[in-house]
Amino acid sequence: MDEIQIASEKEQVGALPGALNSNTESIDLDPSSPCITDGNLAINTPRSRSILDINHILEFAKLEPADFRSQVQCLYFSEQLENDAIKLMELDGPLQDALKSGERIEIRGDPGDGAVVVTGSQTFDVKEAETSNSMLMISSLSYGPDIPNEDDKSIIKRQVSSIVHNYYELRPIKPRLAKLRALLSENPFRGSECEGDELDIGKKYTFSELQQRVQASDAEIKRGLAKMNTCELKGVWRLLDFEYAATVLYHILQLCEERDWLQNGLNMTECLQVLGELFPIEIIKHMVTSHSNENPDTMETDAQKNIYNLCEDKICKHLAELCLKNSGKFNLNDFLRAWQESVPDGMKTNLSQIEGMALVDSDARPPVIWYYSVDLLPEDVGERFEVLFEERKKWSLEDITPYIRDLTDEKTTVNALLTKYARASLTNGIKMFSSRKTN
Amino acid sequence: MVRATIEIPRDNAEQKEWAIIELQGDLETRHPVPLSGKFIGDLHFTHKDAPVLIIGHHILHGKVVTLEKPLAVLAKSLEHHVNVQDMDVTSDSLSPKHEASSHSVSYHVETIITKKILFKTRPKPIIAHVPKKL
Repeated sequence: MDEIQIASEKEQVGALPGALNSNTESIDLDPSSPCITDGNLAINTPRSRSILDINHILEFAKLEPADFRSQVQCLYFSEQLENDAIKLMELDGPLQDALKSGERIEIRGDPGDGAVVVTGSQTFDVKEAETSNSMLMISSLSYGPDIPNEDDKSIIKRQVSSIVHNYYELRPIKPRLAKLRALLSENPFRGSECEGDELDIGKKYTFSELQQRVQASDAEIKRGLAKMNTCELKGVWRLLDFEYAATVLYHILQLCEERDWLQNGLNMTECLQVLGELFPIEIIKHMVTSHSNENPDTMETDAQKNIYNLCEDKICKHLAELCLKNSGKFNLNDFLRAWQESVPDGMKTNLSQIEGMALVDSDARPPVIWYYSVDLLPEDVGERFEVLFEERKKWSLEDITPYIRDLTDEKTTVNALLTKYARASLTNGIKMFSSRKTN
Repeated sequence: MVRATIEIPRDNAEQKEWAIIELQGDLETRHPVPLSGKFIGDLHFTHKDAPVLIIGHHILHGKVVTLEKPLAVLAKSLEHHVNVQDMDVTSDSLSPKHEASSHSVSYHVETIITKKILFKTRPKPIIAHVPKKL
């Protein structure tokens, strides 16, 4: 029997036996007059309850009042019962710490994106969980150990302010930064002289506008901006048009060769003085710092901060991109020659510098290389693998790693991703990964 | 676009923890009348601190359970609202689409709940013999 029966007479509204005055009315718990409430518990009209009422019920229940602690909490629905007044959100450790330390956390996203919750540094996916159980919310309640043991019973009224059937589950996720690139691509910076020209029509975003649209924490947005070749100009964040950025870097490299800065380090003040006439200072600074070796900079003095050592790998990568972008498939040997010739004297090119940016087909005759950047691939793991297997049916571990490494975290390694999303097979003794989908 | 903030109000750092009583199924009255103000039942604790809830003539034996993850109780803060009437205050969802009209929404944490009283067994009916009238 699924139904829970409740029996009562005398009052059509369903009087609770104990709520009746037992001196004047008999109490009838006759189970032969059932009221079926469809698997649900039935509740009754309010009366002011006395110890007598409570003990009376206990007696019917064949329970001994002495077996219970002296305080009875009578639960009532609040007069202002409001089930939608509150929402429940599961907190995991970092989120709770963030809240308790006074950090403001935010819900962010465009309509249709699904909500995320961000702290200063982390992003959480929000999923609504429903339960068929009822959660009665009570702002104040005593638990067993809180109740002193006294001889006399006492009654406390407790109010249920809402009944809740759902809560939000939060799960830490990687920031969704594809939107950041998409938004900033609406109007890339092509140089001061192009501002206001016929192509300068896309929207430009302030950091605060990006916070509203991008589903990532502030720290993650900042990291994303730093990684993407962007610059804050006149209060708005701009993606640097690639050709434009290449021109700026070309001038920086020219100056470096003139002044022997590749060996001795670039002098920022001087660099800004010379190139400041041609380009906005922020952009020169950005191009220098983003192509320099990362300093363990915290302890540095101002004088040292002025000197930057350009990073060979970053410069070589940039020049390879310049070579390969928009040029389709390139004869590998021709490319390697042209690339080495394009880098400043003393720098050495190496294919490892451009992993995740270009693909090589060594089986083709002649071998070819083409631009294929991980930055332009989908962020969603499933979609990422789909796109990768469209590009190439079988991947070696070495080849695919740079294209999925950004999806890994402490728990999910490259191998774990491959186990889940790819099928391994042996080709000429080499382990290759292909799509799990059969077609 | 949405940007709703959630924070613990600074003025009451010592928040009192709320309680959750979790029951299987729903509570209903026999007739479709509002639940507001209605009596639900008596909550007792045994000397061994086990909760016993009597609703109508059903006895529920439960236990106090520590939540795996604490639950924050969020309530909309009204003081920041410029255009309260524009917003779907009764919305069931935190999802952005319900709040497209404004991004000045803010929630505050009323309390963080770490345990609940769970009644997960089927309620036992009180089977009473009808008292004899004298």
